[in-house]
This record gives sequence, structure tokens and C-alpha cells, in this order.
Amino acid sequence: MLDHCIKCNICTNACPVAAVSDRFPGPKYVGPQAQRFRRVGQPVPDAAVDYCSGCRICNLVCPTGVPIAELNARARAQMVAERGLPLRNWLIAHTDLIGRLSAGPQAPLVNALLGWAGTRWLAEQCLGIHRHAPLPRATRYPFRARKQPRLGRGKQVVYFHGCATRAYEPHVGAAALAVLARQGYEVLVPPQNCCGLPLLSNGDFAAARRAHMANVRHLWPYVQAGVPIVGTSTSCTLTLKEEAPELLDLHSHEVQAVAAATYDIFEFLRHLAERGELCDAVRPLEQELPYHMPCQYRAHRIGQPVVDVLSMIPGLRLKLSPAASCCGIAGTYGLKREKYALAQAVGRPLFSFITQTGSSLALCDSETCRWQISHATGVATKHPIELLAEAYEL
Amino acid sequence: MHYDTIIIGAGLAGLSAALRRAALGERVLVLAKGYGASGWTAGCVDVWAAGDAPLSALATLVRSRPQHPYALVGLEALQRGLEWVRTLAAAAGYPLVGGWERGLRLPTALGALRSTCLVPLTMVAGESRQLADGPLLIAGLRELRDFFPPLIAENLRAQGYAATGCYLQMPPGERQRECTPLHVAQCFEQAHVRANIGQQLRTHVRQGGYRRIGLPGVLGLHQAPAVVAELQALSGALIFEIPTLPTSVPGLRLFHVFEQAALAAGVRMQVGGWVVRAEAEGQQLVAVYSRAAAREQRHSARRWVLATGGMLGGGLRSDAHGHIIETALGLPVAKPYSRAEWFDPLLFAPGGHPIFQAGIAVDPQLRPLDAEGRVVYENVAVVGGALAHYDELREGCREGVALATGYGEEQKNR
Repeated sequence: MLDHCIKCNICTNACPVAAVSDRFPGPKYVGPQAQRFRRVGQPVPDAAVDYCSGCRICNLVCPTGVPIAELNARARAQMVAERGLPLRNWLIAHTDLIGRLSAGPQAPLVNALLGWAGTRWLAEQCLGIHRHAPLPRATRYPFRARKQPRLGRGKQVVYFHGCATRAYEPHVGAAALAVLARQGYEVLVPPQNCCGLPLLSNGDFAAARRAHMANVRHLWPYVQAGVPIVGTSTSCTLTLKEEAPELLDLHSHEVQAVAAATYDIFEFLRHLAERGELCDAVRPLEQELPYHMPCQYRAHRIGQPVVDVLSMIPGLRLKLSPAASCCGIAGTYGLKREKYALAQAVGRPLFSFITQTGSSLALCDSETCRWQISHATGVATKHPIELLAEAYEL
Repeated sequence: MHYDTIIIGAGLAGLSAALRRAALGERVLVLAKGYGASGWTAGCVDVWAAGDAPLSALATLVRSRPQHPYALVGLEALQRGLEWVRTLAAAAGYPLVGGWERGLRLPTALGALRSTCLVPLTMVAGESRQLADGPLLIAGLRELRDFFPPLIAENLRAQGYAATGCYLQMPPGERQRECTPLHVAQCFEQAHVRANIGQQLRTHVRQGGYRRIGLPGVLGLHQAPAVVAELQALSGALIFEIPTLPTSVPGLRLFHVFEQAALAAGVRMQVGGWVVRAEAEGQQLVAVYSRAAAREQRHSARRWVLATGGMLGGGLRSDAHGHIIETALGLPVAKPYSRAEWFDPLLFAPGGHPIFQAGIAVDPQLRPLDAEGRVVYENVAVVGGALAHYDELREGCREGVALATGYGEEQKNR
């Protein structure tokens, strides 16, 4: 695939990081070009690849089909293997652990502590997490399914909630369960852990492999029984579908079957719509709302399922964010002290698009993107599934 | 989701077809592997590389080569396409000037003169007929690689133009490390950069009495005509852009004109939607499949336009055995009989190399044909670089064919 790169720099021109920073020379340079100088057992030639945010826009726009973002992710992992993972990156990459420690009865205390400027200053000095970085507020009542139906009766789906729904946004999970139930599905929420994306993007491939294989073990019995897996976090579903198997070279039958059975929730609903099985008893919502399709959602390469499905709501008009715009956060990237300002600069065109719409609410599928958008613009954000649940009057 | 028409490919041919179909009220999807090859081109509209009078050359062409795309769609389709693109670009604030009655010749980044038909307003002052009216300055920036003013000036002098080359200083504080043409173009969107460069040019004009200045084609991305006008006012000379090596900013501008118009017309664009196979019922194409994470995505439509380009654009590929395949739908490819016949022994053979005329053979309605001349799919039209029996680079007709077939496709298939 390397030889397909003809050095046309289309990717560099589309790269949101290279557009705002001299620290990142662009996907072509750190990807296909630097790759020719990377050899096993030799030191990494250029550390600039660490400034790749992993948004994957380069992959999408490449006219010759070079998987540039993958080259970058592997190069970063090689760097981590050589130099070790800094404590800060270890911490923020373990979203599962952090979520479990923060959510629950102790949440008010955790939130108060993290809301205090002194703690944030200390975290910046000691850990390198930027003091203004958008951190989510932990919930007192972590997401869990109320009743657990047994496998194998009627129409069923597995809901993959991801770390954020569990620890910070249980309302997104509740909306997803309600919308899926409205379609006549019983929703199973089996044990699951972090998809491993934060570990992958921080270069800890060994931990990512453990996380992915644990998920495959958890999900395999359902997949075997023909039950699809549906997620609300576009980056979790992308990781289950593609990023983990490809980057970690996991190609067993179970891994492939789990990948093939995983759907983003709107992708799943669109399939239902195409078969005429989507419930269309929605109430009109007279609203014009900005909608940002996250980079990780575009990377599914399935078009715009949210736009397709929400088009059935009378009165609702979605204003799409500019093509290839990025909020900059890229999961944990924009939390880092040295990358916070850069991530804000990356997101500026998107932020001004959202503020210019004058709307007090914006829609976006990815949790970290929502937090970044709300942080930068002051505009409230929702997952589109919450809006659909409203339209169903759930 | 079901569409009226699905276009495969997001170059000028595909987007022309998309805009035309959307204007008729159709529900249109553009599926593209990546951004089209427009960023690899000069951003001009090449119609026919034949001296001063392309129109009469074309009249001969359509009689002598009935399989050429121009002959298939007719010169009227080309004329309508050219008029339409001028209207489209003007409406976007990026006027194209020229016409097919009289060819234009403009300097390249090597200082050679290249034939074309429509050029953006930002380039027109470099037209060769006017270049001889006085001393000429070619100015560049050291940060911008692959653009060498002394080389360009020397080659222009060899052709009788009084050209001098010089380098300008990038204003301090701007990008130092990696400067792609687009990054420099973004710098020119800032007022202080224009003021600084304008002053430097003014000094050169005072010293050398230059009437015209050629600059690399990086003078802004969104407001290029205004940037050129401002630099002209500041320097006191006429300014023209010279297209750079890829990525070509004028090529991107032209792409943006089309892309913005398509989005405004309600065309859905799916970039990264790499079509890999087709599903047919008899002579009807019913669906295509694009690569997606973990599985393929199925797309269905009533009508289809294949605009994936040729060898360069990725619509055609040759494998290790010398087979040439059409990558999206697996259509039969019209090509030289054996690999031995791909190339003429002479590199600059007057007739070109046969392999560069390989592509999809079509009937006058642009429907794909097999080796026996039978229509493969009745509801598919092939446009642009994927077509057989022409050599877009040697004949200098890349954009002309893209517009004539892309814009003309719909009139052939009402």
C-alpha cells in the first residue's frame, strides 16, 4: 500500500492538525514517507508522528487508497514500545478504570475535586493534563440495564455502551435502550469492557489487545447466536469493527465475526428503515440544529446514517458541519498539556460554524467531541439518539 | 438508501454529472474513493492542445476519429459544457476566461508554454501573446519547493521573453517548516502577508520596471481574484499565477467550486466510499458495493454514472500479468491486444502510446460496450477519464472531455 502513495499531498491539505501547527508536518511526511525509514530494531526516525490525532481524514481523502492513519498508529506504538508509555498517557488511556473509579456514590466528590482550579493546576503540573481540558462529569448512577432478558428469545440486540455512557452519560444509554425497544427488540447488555481505542491511540498495543480479546470473549456467544451488537459511541464501534483487528493483527474467526456483527446504532436503524421495519410514529420537531459527524464516524465509511434516519422527523432540519471538519479533541489527544491549544485551533472552524447557527443545541455522535464542542462554544450538545428518543416521545 | 442517480467518482466529470442530475430534481449520491484528481491538475480547462485554433482542429477530429469522446457526444455538448462551467465558476466568484475559438498558452512551472482554453482570472495576465509587452519578473518563495523562478525565467528567455527570476522573503512569523502550496495559499489569505509581499514586489518593479509578474499559483484559496487584484494595486504591475506541481491550489479551487455547488444543490457526497463491485440483473445495474469498516455497504439506484478516471485517477489498473481492469464495476476494457503493443518504441511518438487510449468503449449514449460492441448495462453512462479512444494528456483535452461527457451525459439519457 505504501507504493500507492504518489506524494500528491492531498492528505496534507485535508489534515486538520497540519493546517494549524508546524509541529505536525502532515500525514504524507510522517506516514508513507517516514515509513520507508522505519525498520524493526532501528530507532524511530521522527517523533512528530505523535502529533497525529488519529482522525483518519487522510485515509478518506487519499485518491489512491493508502491507509495513512494506520501507518501512523503503528509508528506511534513502535515509539511507545521503545520509549515506554508516560504515566499521563497510561492514565487517560485507561478510560475504563478512570470511569469505574469516578462514577458511583463518590461522583459528587470526584466532580467537586476536578472542578476545583487547584486540582486542575496540580494535574497539569504533575501529570500534563491541561487545566482547561474538557473533562466529563462522573455520574452518581452508572449506566446499567434494568432487567436482563435471556439470550435466544425473539428479536434481540446487544447494546455496547462504552466507557463514557457507563460512567458519564447514562442518559445516552437509556435513550438507546428505549429507541431499540420501540423497534421491538429486546436489548441485552452483557458484561463488556473498554473497546481499547484510547489504548490504541496512545500506543499501548499490548493493553489494547487484552481489552479487545476480553470483549470478543464477552460478545462471542451472542454473535454466535446471531444477535447483532449495536453501539452509540462511534469510536467504540469503529474499534470493534476495524481498528482493533487491523492494528493488532487479530484475524481469528471470533474476532472477524464480532467485527461483522457490530453496528453503529444509526447504521442499524437505517438498515431497519431500508427493510421497512423502522417505527415511523414520530412527532414533529420544529427545529434547525447543527449536526457534526465525528471523524471516527466518517471512518466507518457508511455515508450519513444519522441524516438518513432523522429525515423521517417532520420539521427537523439538520445543518451539517463543513466536510472534513474536526473538533480537535480526538479522544484523549486534546486533553494533553502540549496539545490542548492545538486541538482548540483544529476545532475553531467547527466551533464558529456551530456558534454562527445561533442554535443553543448541537448534535454529535461522539462523547469526547460533544464535550469539546460544549467546552469551546458553550452550546449544549446531545447524541442524535436522544433526539430520536424525544421524537418517539420516550 | 435508494437514489435516482449514483455517480462513482468526484472529479470534474462526476461532479458535472451530479450537478446536472440534481438540477433536474433527482436524488443524487456521489461515491468517491478519495478526493478527485483535480488537485493534481493546473486548474485550467484544457479542451484541445492544438495551437491557436482548437475549434477547427476539433471539427476535423470528430470526422476523422468517430470513437473519440468528443465525436460521440458532439461538439455542441462540449460547447454547452464550457458555457456552463463559466457560469458556475463566475457564480462562485472565481471567473474563468477564454474560449474554444482561440487557444491560450501560459507558462508552466518549468517556463514552457502550455495550451489550454479556459483559465482562471488569476492566470490570464500570463497569456503568451501579452507577455512580450515589456520586462517580466518571475518571483517565488524559497519555502515553496518545486518552484524555481530562475529556471522559469531562463526558459522563458530562451523563447524570447525578457524574463528575470527572483525570490521573495516570506514574512516572519509564518510557517517555516513544511510549506505545501496550500499552506502558502492560506498565508496569502492574511492581510499582513499580502501587504508585505506587495511591498517587496513594489521594490522590484521600481528597480526593474516590470510590467508583469508571474507568481506561483498559491495566491489564496478562497479569495484568489481579490488577492491578485490587491497585489496588482500594491506592486503597480500585472500579476499572474503559474500553476505549481501537485498539490495544485488552482486545481483545488476549481474542485471547491464544483463541490460547493454540488452540496448546495443537495447532492450527497460520500468521500472514502470506495466502490469495489457491482450487482446486476441482466443489462441493468441494480447496486454497487463500497468498502466500509468490517463489511461492504450496498447502494442502489435507478441510474449510474461511472466517473472514476483512467490510469491516473485509479479507474483503471493493470495487474502483474498485464491485464487491465476497470476497478469499480469490472467493465470490459478496450485496450491494445497484447502487452507488447502498449508502448511505441519512441518515447515521444507523434501518435502517443496505445496504452493511454485504453478505457471503456461506449455507444453514443455513453453506455459501456463489450468487445463485441454490445451494451453491458443500459442504465450506466461512462464519463471522463475512464473512456477509451483518447489520450487526455497528450491531446490536452482532460477537462474538455470531462465537461462534455459529464455535463452532456444527462441529455443522452433522458
